Amino acid sequence: MHFKFVHAADLHLDTPFRGVAAQGPLLGRFQESTFRALSRIVDLCLRERVAFLLLAGDLFEVKDRSVRARLVLRRELGRLHDAGIESFIVHGNHDPLSGDTGTLGLPSSVKVFGPDWEEAEVRREGRRLCRVQGISYPDVEVRDDLSARFRRTGDGFSVGLLHANLGGAEGHANYAPCTPAGLGARGLDYWALGHVHTRAELLLPGGGIAVYPGNPQGRHALETGERGCVLVEVEDGGMRRRFVPVDTVRWHRLEVPLTGVATLDALLGTVGEVVDAACARELDGHAVRLVLTGRGPLHRELARPGALAQLEADLRARLAQGHPPVLLESLRDGSRPELDWEALQAEGGFARTLLEEARALEEDPVALARLWEQEALGSLGQRLKRLGVDVLETPRMEWVSRASLLGVEALHEEEEGA
Amino acid sequence: MKPGLRIDTLRVRRFGHFSDLTLELGPGLHLLYGPNEAGKSTLLAFLRAVLFGFEKRGSPERYAPAEDDAPFGGELRLSTGMGPLLVRRMAAPRGRKSETLTVLGPDGEPVSEERLKEARGHVTRELFFDVFAFRLEELAGFEQLTEERGASEALVAASMRGARRLPEAMTLLRKNAEQLYKPNGSNPELNVKLRELEEVQEQLREVGNRPALYFSKRERLEALGVELGGLDSRVREDGRELERLARLESALGEVSSLATTRAELESLPSLETFPEGGEARLEEALQRSGSYRAEVARLAERLVSTEAELKRLSAPSPVRGREDALRAAVAAYSERSELVRALPARRAALGMKRRQVESALEELGLGVDGPGLVALDLSAGARAGLEALSSRLDVEETGRREVGGALARARSERERLEGVLARTESELAELPEVRPAQVRQQQAGLARMRVARADLERLGEQKMEARRRIEGLRGPVTELPSASSPVIPVWLVPVAAAVAVTLAVAAWLLGGTGVGVLGLVGGLVLTGLLEFARRKVESSRDAERETREAQQQSRKQEEERLRVELAGYVAREELARRELLASATDAGLSPAATSADMTARESALEEALEQAGRRESLSRERDTLRATHDLALRDERQADELLRGHEARHASLSAELNACLSARRFPAGLPAQAALALWRDASALRQRWQDLVADEAALSADEAACADVVSRLRALAADMGQGGARPPEVSNLPRMEHERGSANASSTESSTSSSEGVLPSSTGTQRGARAPLSTEHEAATSGASGTAYRGLSQEAPSSQASSSMDLVVMRVNAALEAAREQEAERRAAEERRRELREEKARLDELCRTEEAALAALLAEGGGGDEETFRRRAVQAHRYAELTHRARELAHRIEARTGLSDAEAREALRALGGEEGLRAVLSQVRARHAEAQEKSKEVLTEQGATQNQLEQWENDDLLARLRIQEETLRAKVAELATRYAEDKLALALLGRARRRFEEEQQPRVVQLASEHFALLTEGRYRRVFIPAGDERELRVSDGERDWSAAQLSRGTREQLYLAFRLAVVRDFGETRSALPLIVDDVLVNFDPGRARSAIQLLAQLAEHQQVIAFTCHPWLRELFEAEGAQTQTLESRDSAATLRAV
Repeated sequence: MHFKFVHAADLHLDTPFRGVAAQGPLLGRFQESTFRALSRIVDLCLRERVAFLLLAGDLFEVKDRSVRARLVLRRELGRLHDAGIESFIVHGNHDPLSGDTGTLGLPSSVKVFGPDWEEAEVRREGRRLCRVQGISYPDVEVRDDLSARFRRTGDGFSVGLLHANLGGAEGHANYAPCTPAGLGARGLDYWALGHVHTRAELLLPGGGIAVYPGNPQGRHALETGERGCVLVEVEDGGMRRRFVPVDTVRWHRLEVPLTGVATLDALLGTVGEVVDAACARELDGHAVRLVLTGRGPLHRELARPGALAQLEADLRARLAQGHPPVLLESLRDGSRPELDWEALQAEGGFARTLLEEARALEEDPVALARLWEQEALGSLGQRLKRLGVDVLETPRMEWVSRASLLGVEALHEEEEGA
Repeated sequence: MKPGLRIDTLRVRRFGHFSDLTLELGPGLHLLYGPNEAGKSTLLAFLRAVLFGFEKRGSPERYAPAEDDAPFGGELRLSTGMGPLLVRRMAAPRGRKSETLTVLGPDGEPVSEERLKEARGHVTRELFFDVFAFRLEELAGFEQLTEERGASEALVAASMRGARRLPEAMTLLRKNAEQLYKPNGSNPELNVKLRELEEVQEQLREVGNRPALYFSKRERLEALGVELGGLDSRVREDGRELERLARLESALGEVSSLATTRAELESLPSLETFPEGGEARLEEALQRSGSYRAEVARLAERLVSTEAELKRLSAPSPVRGREDALRAAVAAYSERSELVRALPARRAALGMKRRQVESALEELGLGVDGPGLVALDLSAGARAGLEALSSRLDVEETGRREVGGALARARSERERLEGVLARTESELAELPEVRPAQVRQQQAGLARMRVARADLERLGEQKMEARRRIEGLRGPVTELPSASSPVIPVWLVPVAAAVAVTLAVAAWLLGGTGVGVLGLVGGLVLTGLLEFARRKVESSRDAERETREAQQQSRKQEEERLRVELAGYVAREELARRELLASATDAGLSPAATSADMTARESALEEALEQAGRRESLSRERDTLRATHDLALRDERQADELLRGHEARHASLSAELNACLSARRFPAGLPAQAALALWRDASALRQRWQDLVADEAALSADEAACADVVSRLRALAADMGQGGARPPEVSNLPRMEHERGSANASSTESSTSSSEGVLPSSTGTQRGARAPLSTEHEAATSGASGTAYRGLSQEAPSSQASSSMDLVVMRVNAALEAAREQEAERRAAEERRRELREEKARLDELCRTEEAALAALLAEGGGGDEETFRRRAVQAHRYAELTHRARELAHRIEARTGLSDAEAREALRALGGEEGLRAVLSQVRARHAEAQEKSKEVLTEQGATQNQLEQWENDDLLARLRIQEETLRAKVAELATRYAEDKLALALLGRARRRFEEEQQPRVVQLASEHFALLTEGRYRRVFIPAGDERELRVSDGERDWSAAQLSRGTREQLYLAFRLAVVRDFGETRSALPLIVDDVLVNFDPGRARSAIQLLAQLAEHQQVIAFTCHPWLRELFEAEGAQTQTLESRDSAATLRAV
C-alpha cells in the first residue's frame, strides 16, 4: 500500500505583521504571505498527488476576525476537493470550535474534527488507506491531555491529528500538554501535531513518531529560517518524510560584527553584505533583526543617545528598497561590555551582595511573588493580559537575573566612566 | 586602620577676611581656638572648599572677598596613602566657573584629580560635609540624614566597594521606570501605548465578529435571492393576469356596441346583391342622358346658322380671277415708287452742279471750256517734270545765297587781321633790342658777389675766435703739488709704540701685572690707530696729483687742434676773395662796389629783363598774325569763284521752266510754285466735270424705266374700276391707314421713351440691349410708312401724277384684301358645318347607349321602377354600414383582448359581467403593486448586503487595525519588559542595600552604642535601628527605648555625635581614614560629657586627624588637657594672625 499525505500546522492565516510600513512593497507581501503559504501547500498536494492533507490546528490567527482567512481557506480546500484530495482539520487554541460560526461552508471532502475524539478512514478504490483520528479544541484554554483519548482501533496506518504541547516546549502556552511516553502508549503510527512553531520530530517509544512541521510562514523575529510543511510518503509500513519549505517571506536574526569597522559607511556596507548573504533572492521579501556584536571604533559613537535609532531608521529605509525588499525588524546593540562575573563574585562588595540577593530571590518564588505584587507588576500584568499581552502574566525567574544584570551594569558603568 | 588623608599645612591665600594665613597641622588632635568672628567657620568652609570645591555663587559659605576682583582660595598640603599631595583651589569672585584646581604630586608635578578623589576615599561631598566636617547646627541635621534615602544610600555608597554609583544608579533606574510607566499616570510611554492599544481594541470590538457576521450576511443574501425569485414569478403572473383583465376592460364598450349592431342588422332584409352605389349610378345615368339630349338640340341650331352664313359667303365678286395680275403690277410699282418720287429733285441738283463747274472754269482763267479742259494734257508725267524743275531751281537759289554769306565773312576777317598786325609792328619798334639771357647772367654774378662777401666776413670772425681760444688755453697753468711732504711722518709710529710699551712697563711696575698688561694693550691699540690714520691721508694725496696731470695733458691736445683749425680758415678766406673778383666782373661792377650800388644795379637789371621778355613775346605774336592773314585771303578768293558758278546754273533752269509752261497754255513767267498750284486746280476741275456728265446720263435712264411701270398700273386699275363697283371699305382705307400710322408713331414714341428710361439703369445685358434695337427697328419701319403716307398726302397737290398713282395702288390693294378675307370666311364656315354634323351623329349614338344602360341598372336593382330602386338603395346603404361596423368592432375586440369576440363575451360572462371584471381587476392590481414593492425592497437589501460582503472581503480597516494592534502589543510588551526590569533592578538594589545595612550596621551601631554609653557616662547603654524600613535611631537605657526626638537636646546631639564617630571610625577602618573636623559641637554638653567627648576625639585622633574649633576657654582647657595642639586665631580686628601656644 503506497500513499502520500501532507502535514501542516499553525497556518495562522491573515497574521498581522507588526512594524511593516504602510507604504512600499513590503506590507502587501507580508500580508499575503500566510495565504501564499497555504496556496503553496495545496500546490504541493496537487503536485505530489497526495491522498490527504492534515492541518493540525491554529488555522487562523484570531478566531473571529478575518473574513479573508475564511474565504481563502475555503478556496484552497476547494481546489483539493476538486482534485479528489481529502482534508482533515483540527482546531487549536487560536481558532477553537467555540469561535467557529459553523457556517464555514467548506467542501464536503473536508473533515473537521469535533471536540470529542473521532476517527475517519481514508479510502481509495474501495480499500482503506489510513485511519485519521483527531480532536479539536472546544475552547482556548485546554489544559487536559487530549492525546489520552486517542487509541489504535485496528490494523493499518493510523494518524493522530492534534494541537498539543509535547513535553512542555518552552515559549508556547502549555495547552493540551502531553509527553512522548503518553503518545507512544497510544500506539499510533504518526502523530501529526501542531502548536509548536519550530519544526521537530520525535521518535516515540513503541515505534511511532510525533512530528511538528512548524508553521509554514514565519511571523516574527523569533521564527527565523525556512518554514514549511512535511510531505509523508507511506509504503508497506515504511515511512519517508520530507520537509518542504513554502514560506514566501523569511525572518532572520543576523549578527553584524563591529570589530574593525571604523566608519558608519563601512558599517552600512557590512550590514549590506550580511543581509545580502542571508536573504535569498527568490523569496518575496525578508525581515531581519540585526544585532551589532563585538567592540570596535564605532562603539562609542553608537553609544550616543539617539545614534542607534538614527542608524536603524536609515537602515530600514535603505533595506526596504532592496530586491527583494527587506524589512528591518529592529537593530539591537549586542556590543555591550561584558562584565566579568566571576571577578565580581570573587571581589565581593556591593555587586556581590546584589547578585546574592538576586539568587536568593530566584530560589524563593514566594518572595518573588511578593516583590512582584509589591512593585505593582502583577496589576500591570493583569492589565496587559486583558489587552492580549501576556508578557508580565507571571513573575518569571529570568526577569530577576536580567534585573540583577541591569543593576550590576548600572553600578558598573561607574568604573567605566571613572 | 586604612591609610587615609591628613592635612599637614593649610595656606589661605585669600578667603573670607583671611589673606596669606598659613597654618601648620599634622597628625593627632588639633584645636583652633578663637573668639567669635575670628574666622573658625571660615576656616571650616575653607577646608571643605579646597577639598570639595567652592560653594555656589551667592552662597555665604563661598566666602568670596567682597572688596575686589582678585582671585581667592588657597592650598592644602596633604599626606595620603600614596604620598603627599598639594591641593590648590582658586576662583575669581565674579567669574563664572572660574574655579581652578591644581593637584601636585610629591615632587611638585601636577597629577590628576583622581588622586585627590582616591585620597578622599571616594566619599561624596554630602557625606563628608555631614559626617566628617560639620558644625553644631549640622550635628542635629543628622536626623534627616538617617531618614532620607539619599543619604542612606550615600552611606552605603561611601562605605562599600562597588556601590559608589548606587545613588545615581537608583535615581537613573527610578527615572527610567517613571518615564516608562506610572500606574496612575497618563504621559509615560507605556501608559500612552496602553491607551492606544485599548482604543484600537475598542475599535476592533466595535467591528465585531466579522466571520460570523459575514456568513450570516451571506446566508441572508442567499435567502434574499430565493425570496426575490418567488416575488419575481408572482409579479410576472399578476402582471399577465392584470394585462388580460385590463384588455378585457378596455374592450367592454366595443362588445356592447357590437351586440346592438348585430341586432339591427338582423332586422334588415337580405341586400347582399344590391348593386353597389346603385342610386348614384342611377342619378348619374339619368343626368347623362339628359345632357346628351340638350347637346343634340344645340348642335342642330348651330348647324342651321352655319348653313345660312355659307350661303351668304358664296355670292360672286369682280376681283376674283384677276388677283395675280393686279398683285404683280402693284409690286412693280412699289419697287420703283421711291425712284419716281426722287426724279425731279435729282434733275434740279444736276443743273445746279453744272452751273457751279462752269463758273469755276471761268475763274481758272485758262481760257478753255469744259471739253477743252478735258482735252488738255494734265498727265502725271508732265506734272512730275514741272515739279523736278521747280525743286532744282530752289536748290540753286539756296546755294547762291550761302556762298554770298561766306564771301562777306572772309572779307571782314581779312580786314580785321590787317589792323592787328599793324598795331603789333608799331609796338615792337618801340622796345630795345636786349636778350633776357644776358641780363640773367649779370644777375647771377651779382648774387655770387654777395655770397662771397658774406663768406669773407664770416671767416674773419671765425679766425678771430680761434685766435682768442688759443690765447685762453695758454693762460692758466697750475703747479702740481709735491709728493715729498707727508702729513704725518713714518717714524712717529714706532715712536708711539715705544712710548706705549714704556708706559706699560711703568704701569706694571707701579700697579702690578694687571695694570701693566692693560696699559700695554691700550698703548698698542692707540699706536695701531695712528698708523692707520697716516696711511689714509697719503693715499688721498696721491689720487689728487694724478688727476691734475691728466688735466694738463688734455689742454695741450686742445691747443694743437685749434691751430690746425686756424690755418684752414686762412685758406678758405683766399678762395672767397677770388670768387668775389670773378663775380664782380660778371655783374659789371667793380669788386669794391658798395652794397647801394649793388642794389641799384639789381633793380636796373630786373627792368631790363622784363622788357626783353616783352619783346620776345611780341615778335612771336606778329609771326602768327601774318600766317592767319594769308589764310583769310585764300578763303575769300575761293568764295568768289563758287558764287559765279551758282548764278550761271540758275539762269539755265529758269529758261527751261518758261518753255514748259508755254506748252501747257499756262501764262508765261509764272513762278514755279504758282504754276504748280494752277496745275492742281485745273486737274480737280476736270475731275468734277467728268462726274457731272456721268450723273446726267444715269438720270435720263431712270426716267425712262419709271414711265413704263406707271403706265401699266394705270391700265389695270382702269380695268378693275370698270369691272365692278368699288367696295365701300376701299374709300375708307386711307383714313384708317392714317389713324393706324399715328397710333404707331405714338406707341413708338412711348416705347422709345420707356426704353430710354430703362437704358441707364440697365447694365447692358443682351436682352436690354436688344429690346431698344427691335423697338427702334419697328419704329423705323412704321415711321417710314407713316412718313410715306404723309409725303403722299402733302405732295398730292404738287405732283399730281405720283399721288394719283398712290391712290390707285391703295384701292387695288383694298379690293384684293377684301376678296381674300371673304374666301377665308367661307372655308371656315364649311369646315364648321362638317364638324357639327359629325358631332350630332356621335351624340345620337351616346343617347341610345345610355338608355339601354339605365334599363339594365333598374333591372339589377330588383325593382322594376325607379322609385322602388331608390327605396332599396337607402336600405342597402344602411346594411353595408352596419356590416362594416360589426366587422370593425370585432377587429377591435380582437386587437385589444387577443380573443375573438365570442371568446371575449364568454370570458366576460365567466368573470360575472362588467361588475365582476372591475372587482377582480382592482383586486389583482393591488396584489401586483404590493408584490412589486416587496420585490424592490428585497432587491435593495440584496444590493446592500452584497456591498457589505464585498467590503468585508476586501477589508482594509480590519487589517490595518490588526497590524496596529499587533504593533502596539509588541511595543507594550517591550516597554513593560523594560519597566519590569527596571523595577526589579531597583528592588534588588534596595534589597541589597538593606542587606548591606543589616550586615554592616551592627558594627556601626555597636560602635555608636559604645560611644554613646561613654558620652552619657553609662546613662544609655545601647543604640539601635529597629527592623523594617523605618530608618530611625533609637536608644535604650536597659529598661525602655527612646527615640531621638524624645531625648533632650544635648543628649540628642551626643547620640548623633556618637553615631557619626562610629561611622567615621568604621569608614576609617574599612575604607579610608579621613580627618574629622568639628566646629564647636560640644557647647550644649555639660562639662563631664564634654570631657568624655573630647576623650573620644582624642582616641580617634590616634588613628586619624581630628581638627576642632571652639571659642570657649573651658573647652580649650579640656582639649589641652587631652593633649590637643592648640592654635589661637586672633579676632578679626587685630590682624588675622595665628599664635602658636
